[in-house]
Amino acid sequence: MFRKALLALPVALALGATAHAEKAPEDVLQGLIDSIDSRYLTQSEMNLMMMPDNPALWVGMDGEDLFHTARGPNNVSMEACDFGKGPGVLEGAYVEMPRYFEDTGKVMDLETRIVHCMTQVQGFPADDPAVRQRHNSESDHMKLQTYIAMQSNGMAWNNPLDHPLETAMRDAGEVLFARRAGMSDFNCYACHGQSGKQVRASVLPNAKVPEDWTKAISWPAFRVGHGHVRSSQHRVRGCYYQMRQPGMLAGSDASIALISYWTDLARGQPAILPDMKR
Amino acid sequence: MFKKTSLAAGVAAFATILFAGGCAIAEADKSGQVDYTAMTPHELAEYLIFEANGGGFNLAQEMQEGGTARERMQQDELQKACSIIGDGKPDAETLEAIRTAATESITYPEGGIQLGDWERGRVLAWSGFGYRVGHNYDDHAREVGGTCYNCHQFATDRVGGNVGPVLTGYGKTRGTSEPILKYVYDMIYNPHTYFPCTHMPRFGSSGFLDEQSIADIMAYMFDPESPVNE
Repeated sequence: MFRKALLALPVALALGATAHAEKAPEDVLQGLIDSIDSRYLTQSEMNLMMMPDNPALWVGMDGEDLFHTARGPNNVSMEACDFGKGPGVLEGAYVEMPRYFEDTGKVMDLETRIVHCMTQVQGFPADDPAVRQRHNSESDHMKLQTYIAMQSNGMAWNNPLDHPLETAMRDAGEVLFARRAGMSDFNCYACHGQSGKQVRASVLPNAKVPEDWTKAISWPAFRVGHGHVRSSQHRVRGCYYQMRQPGMLAGSDASIALISYWTDLARGQPAILPDMKR
Repeated sequence: MFKKTSLAAGVAAFATILFAGGCAIAEADKSGQVDYTAMTPHELAEYLIFEANGGGFNLAQEMQEGGTARERMQQDELQKACSIIGDGKPDAETLEAIRTAATESITYPEGGIQLGDWERGRVLAWSGFGYRVGHNYDDHAREVGGTCYNCHQFATDRVGGNVGPVLTGYGKTRGTSEPILKYVYDMIYNPHTYFPCTHMPRFGSSGFLDEQSIADIMAYMFDPESPVNE
């Protein structure tokens, strides 16, 4: 609780609004659990108990420092970057991504937008470790993603579908979600089309139940089994891996289309940020 | 192996939707950018997988079965016909075509269906190894498993999934008559022969499991000594 207050304070100073920070991620999850009968949401009592001490909170604090520090060849902080709500405005930005960005003419997810900010605004070369390393709690990416995403905790997923490209990407993502291929003929429904199903010991979220699905897509989350905070792109990669389909490239338009659709599936449900998963 | 002709009629309507206006895919505007909004969702999805910025996947990677990731991402007729938004089923005619093609795809061992070594079958039924690619490529110097426990419960000494039906006590309750052995062999080889557009993989038709592995996994299900039948 004390730590959460510390986290919220600088945001309050920067933005003058902290309504979302009043509800802790575990309270957002508890609200969902109280609203529907779901084996998926309740499968780990341990994680629920541990969420006030979620290691992702520390990763997010590191991300806060990183975000506000002048970095890169151009020596500017990420406050100069627009995540959809204007330069440096983070409150509620993440639940409205992926979205169309005028400056690139593309629909971008959070990770891709951070790459854009690092390379185009801060001037990092594309092969700099800050840009390239995406997957561990120690990476700049996971720190920044966690910090930025936390400014949307408890808010409803609401990726915009106003621009024709946003709609096109969402609709292509819907096709990808259903698209069977590879050695096992799997598509996303193979695991995410029914409630109460489990693969081995893991209870699976049902894409057709938004209350399940908001937790499923609440990344970054600390994955207890991995000992690291993981991203949406990391989850997508893992799913294709288990489906025996080729490795999806992080930041590809295919990945962003899929994430646009899966975000749309959780529309209106509160995001749990950061989450904790098995 | 898959009889494409027998399915062709059933998926003709689908194919028409998929390929009509396919020229939009190759057209670029003055800036050299392809207009995503001019494509149907199906066209765009295919474009994002195979074309956009060199493809959305690591398409050049070599696959264990031969060929590249590009080929593994290409759908056969069954995969196309069973890719239904919302997870529904295609029409009855298409389902029947899938069922017929599946039945025709099944080949049987010389000398008939045999039960193999249940102990090896137990290991294979548990193993989730094989045919995974991308960032952590499965090297088939190690034995390919059947991933059966992902979805099924067998002997209760280990926790299995519940996406598919419980198979605990399978041989004990059903015996080992020729029809039941054939049924299980078919279900492993190509389950679309009984359940068109099922989510269960075609372990025989796809080449995922070889004849010996199927015989061993079946022994794990049927052998009286197997813990499945305790």
